[in-house]
Formats: sequence, C-alpha cells, structure tokens
Amino acid sequence: MPLRRRRNSVPIISRRAAAVAAAVLTAVATACAPPPPEPASTSGEAISRDNCGIDVAVDGPPDRVYAAYQPAVEIAHALGITDRLVGTAFLDAQVLPEYVDQQERVDYVPSLPSREALLEMKPDFVLSGFNGFFAEQSADSSVGTRASLRELGVQSWILSPLCPSEDGLTDRSIDPATVTVESIYRDLRDLGALFEVEDTAEAVISDMRRRIGDVEKRVSGAERPSVAIVSPNDDGSYGVASGIDFGSHVIERAGGTNAFADLSDTRNIDIGAEELVERDPDVILTDACCNADLTRQDARSEVDAILRDPALADVTAVTEKAVHPFLFADRSAGVRAAHSIELVASILHPNRVD
Amino acid sequence: MVRTVSVVAVLAGACGLSLVVGSYPIPPSDVLSAVVSPGTGAADTIVHHVRIPRTLSGLLAGSALGVAGAVMQGLTRNPLAGPGILGINAGASLAVVTAIALGVTAAGDYLWFAFAGAGAAALLVYGFGSLGRGGATPVKLALAGAALSAMVGSMTTVVTLLDAATLDQYRFWAVGSLTRSGADVTAAVGPFLAVGFVLAVAVAGSLNALALGEDMARSLGTPVVPVRVLAASSVLLLAGAATVIAGPVAFVGLAVPHLARILAGPDYRWIMPLSALLGPALLLLADVAGRLLVQPEQLQVGIVTGLAGGPFFLYLVRRRKVAQL
Repeated sequence: MPLRRRRNSVPIISRRAAAVAAAVLTAVATACAPPPPEPASTSGEAISRDNCGIDVAVDGPPDRVYAAYQPAVEIAHALGITDRLVGTAFLDAQVLPEYVDQQERVDYVPSLPSREALLEMKPDFVLSGFNGFFAEQSADSSVGTRASLRELGVQSWILSPLCPSEDGLTDRSIDPATVTVESIYRDLRDLGALFEVEDTAEAVISDMRRRIGDVEKRVSGAERPSVAIVSPNDDGSYGVASGIDFGSHVIERAGGTNAFADLSDTRNIDIGAEELVERDPDVILTDACCNADLTRQDARSEVDAILRDPALADVTAVTEKAVHPFLFADRSAGVRAAHSIELVASILHPNRVD
Repeated sequence: MVRTVSVVAVLAGACGLSLVVGSYPIPPSDVLSAVVSPGTGAADTIVHHVRIPRTLSGLLAGSALGVAGAVMQGLTRNPLAGPGILGINAGASLAVVTAIALGVTAAGDYLWFAFAGAGAAALLVYGFGSLGRGGATPVKLALAGAALSAMVGSMTTVVTLLDAATLDQYRFWAVGSLTRSGADVTAAVGPFLAVGFVLAVAVAGSLNALALGEDMARSLGTPVVPVRVLAASSVLLLAGAATVIAGPVAFVGLAVPHLARILAGPDYRWIMPLSALLGPALLLLADVAGRLLVQPEQLQVGIVTGLAGGPFFLYLVRRRKVAQL
C-alpha cells in the first residue's frame, strides 16, 4: 500500500522539485540576464482529484469510459459524456426517463464484465456505482482493485457514498460520514473537473440542490413517520436498508426516519419478520431490483408479498396499507437522489408534496 | 427407558425455547396463552405465524434428517453416511436451482424438483457405487457420493453464475433455514414424511441383520435387495422432504444417529425413534442459537449446524469405536 502511494506521488514530488529548481534558476538568471520567455501553457494539463482516499489523476479528459451499476451510468449521462462510454453494465432498473434516449445509444450488458473483458474494451476510466466491482475477495464479479487497474493506466472512481475504508474492500467498511447527498455533489464537481465538463456538473448540482431544497422546505415541521425499505427474501426473512445506506438519507430528506437507522454493519441487512414487527414502521417501501427494464410497476409483487405475510399483519404500515412500490435503484447514491427524495416525500407527505 | 424420557425432555425444552426466544420480546406466560387461546395482538400473531411454523419446520425437518441419516448409515454400513455425503442434498439443490432458472416460483412447486433431484442423485451414487467387484461397498458408495456431490455442486454454480436473478434467490436456498416454508409446504410434504417414517421403522430390524454383513443377513432370511430398495426409498422421501422444508442442513443427518447409538447401542429399532427425537432437538437448539448470536440479524440454522457440526465430525473420526459399524 505505501509503495503504491509513493509510486503515485513521484511525479508530484519531481514536479515540485522542478519548480523549485526553476525558481532558483530564474532568480539566479534574473540577477545577471534578461528574463527568459514564459513557458507556453500546455493544453490537456494533468489534473487530479481524491476519491475514496485514492488520488485519481488524468492527463486531459478521459474519453473511453466504462460505467458499471445504475448510479454510475446515470451520472455519466447527466454529465453529458454519453458519447465517451465504451460500455455500461448492470442496471438495477430502467434509467431515469430523461436518460432513456442516451442509454439506448450505448452498449449495455446485464452482468458485469470480467477483468479481461473490461480491459479488452480499452477503457481509460472506470466509473462504478458499487464498491464490489473493485473488491479483492467478493462473491460479485470483480475486475480487480483500483490500484491494479491504475498500474495498467486505467483510472477509476467509486461514487463516494460507497467508499470502502480501503481499496479492495466492500460494504462492510463504509464510513457513514461519507453517505450524504453532499458527497454526490462533490463527486459531480470532481468528475466534472476530470472530464472537463464543469459547467454541466454545476448545472446538475444546482438543479439537484433546488429540487431537494424545495422538498425539504415543504416537509419541514411535519411529523416524521418511520420508514423501512424492505425486500422479501426467498427464505421468509426480509432484507432491509440500514443506516449507512444512502436510502436512509433519501428518507431523512423526504421528511421521515429510517426505522433501521441504528444498524450500521453493512448497507443491506437480513432480518426476521419478528424484527420488522418489533420496529413497526409507519411506511414500508419495497426494494425491487435488478434488470434494465424494471419500473415501479414491477415492484407490485413485493408489495403483495409483504401485505400477504400473516406475520406482518399487525405492522402499522400493513394495517394502514402504507406499503409502496419502490426500487433498489431509487436508493442508489447518484443523480437519482433528487427524483427519489421527491418520490418518497410525495408518499410520506402527500398534502405538502405532489 | 430413562434415556428415552430424558431425550423427550430435551426435545420439549428445545421446542419451548423455540417458541419463547426471538427478537420480538414476548414473556413465556404470554407465549403460553397465545398457544392455548389465540388472541389478536402482535404477540399472538408472532407466535402463530412466526414461531409455531418455525418450530414445526424444525420438528419435521429434524426428525426426517435424523431418521434418514440412521437409515443411510445402516443401509450403506458407513458411519460417515448422511444425505449430504451421499449426494442427495447436492442433487436436490441442483434440481431446485434449475427450477428457479426455468421460472418456477412457488415454493410448493420446488418440491417435485427437489425429490426428482434427490432421487436421481441417489440412483447415480448407488449405481456407480455398485460397479465392479464386491457390489456397493461403503467405501465405494462414499467415494461415488463425494464425486457426484462435487460435480453436481459445480453444475449448480454454473447455473447460478449464468443468471444473476437465480443467484439472488439461490443464496437463500444454499443455506438451510427454518423460516423458509409456510404451512402450505409443510402440509404438502406431510404425506411423504409419513411414508418415509413408516418405511424406516419397517426396515429397522432388517438393518440390524444387514449390519452383520450381506451373507450373514441372507442366511438369517433377510430379503437383502427388497430391504435395500425400501430403505433407499425411505431415505429419499425423508431427505427430500427435509430439503424442501429447510433447504440443505449439514451434519444433523450424520451426527444424530451417532448420538442415538451412544445412548441406545447398535439396535436400529432403538436408533430410529431416538434419532427422530434427537434430530429436531438439535436442529431447534441450533436455530435458537442462530436467533441470539447476531441480533438483530439471524444466522440461518444451516450455518449454525455447519459451524457446530465440524468439530463434532472431527470428534467422530477420532472415536474409532463409533466409526466401526
């Protein structure tokens, strides 16, 4: 690890050394000769941004980008770099309506590529909406750690609400402090700089700020119902979104509280029906996933399964028929956040948000 | 007799714990009143729709696995035999995965696939294990079972890797759990379990004779081939039904007959009923432990038996006396 970091910082040190040397030389030179001409400013200047503690440096904007998972694919379209995508993979649901046309123009595969298949496409930048893509030991397919990709000249980015504590790790090591909407704004700004689309990035950010701010204003002061994002599992247990999942922030900003906010081991936690009864959420959102055609209509079966489970008959959300179709994609940390916060707010506070 | 009574007491205790322990706190007295006179509160709902079905699943799957293991060990005269080791779980799992991949969604429909898979695996293992001189010797059966399990296991992996959605469903099928099946599934497997238990009791005496060796059994007038067919059918029904109820559960089928043997000696007419009592006791205690260990999450019972079963297996291997049937 230290070795990799050192290797990465070598150019910076030498650049600084060169600058110091140049300054000294200049000082010496000006003392006894007319000043030399200013060096011409170079285009495609090297630029770097920090992402999950990793320095991501590019010489000019990347133009062969691979985007994996919903948030990454949608962010690429939002930033207007659709034409630079060499491939996309693993959508959890249909992309937002405003990106459908763009998504139709790019290559898409439902399952993640292997490391070889990825490298064959000669990407210079890999944008991932989930840390498992770079996990060292993961049941999900992984293309290797980000450091191992960088050695091949491929830069990478994980949307920072999913930053593992160290390269190669997964969901079990997310710092809750990074799971915020602000992190998405920072990602957009940084990616905007790396891809030289700063203006688009700022426009996306201010649009999100405006929409989310509007929702927050409308729901402020309202009672905050407890909300659980719940998915029925095949063995009778239920998967729920914990406090370190971005879904928790979607609920918060939309004027509710996550009934499982105190759990923070991993983003998705499997619990028994009893635990759900014990927590007694006022509202249940389903968690349907994962294919590129999925829409909220497809979440109906999860709604029915939850309403039908006799063990949950006394849960407030069930007695009040407050079980709503919602998608796993809707709790992903990306540009979808504004849409999701509006959606959840319209469910929790129909009188204030429409 | 005293031993039987104490085993029954242990099982009763395990059932009690299974009804009382859970993440929704319900005092034992309220559990009792919910069982005796069902009301309408949240506690009553949980007792009736979570804990009783879960306990029932444990009772049925546990007895089935215990008895299936005992019959299997007697049939193959192999102390390491169990539905898992002889490929039956692997066969049932592959069939279930195939069913999921083909779009079968109702748990009740998996049942037929699980039975078919278990049956095919058993036939193949017995067929391969019987090839060559000496017929179906314990060693050959175990080797054939291990080979088939490995192969079928890889095929299961292939199916799940090719289809992400199947993988997501299968991850709950790969680990045994008592919360999987509702009353509909339990009712559907009931008849299979009943026939399986009857067959097991019917062959118990003959298994005692078989334990003396095939030739000796023949000379004692035991119809070896029919007994084998009946015993194998019993294992198939019981292990298949247990897999449908709870999914693959490791080590119960292997360990319980040994515990029964330690308590009751080598007579299968005693080993069978004791296994039927010890199996559910072990399974329910493991399930209760799984509820307590990682709250508010739960460990599936298959994980707990796997973890606890490993050391027990080593202990068995070290105990030569038990290993010689």
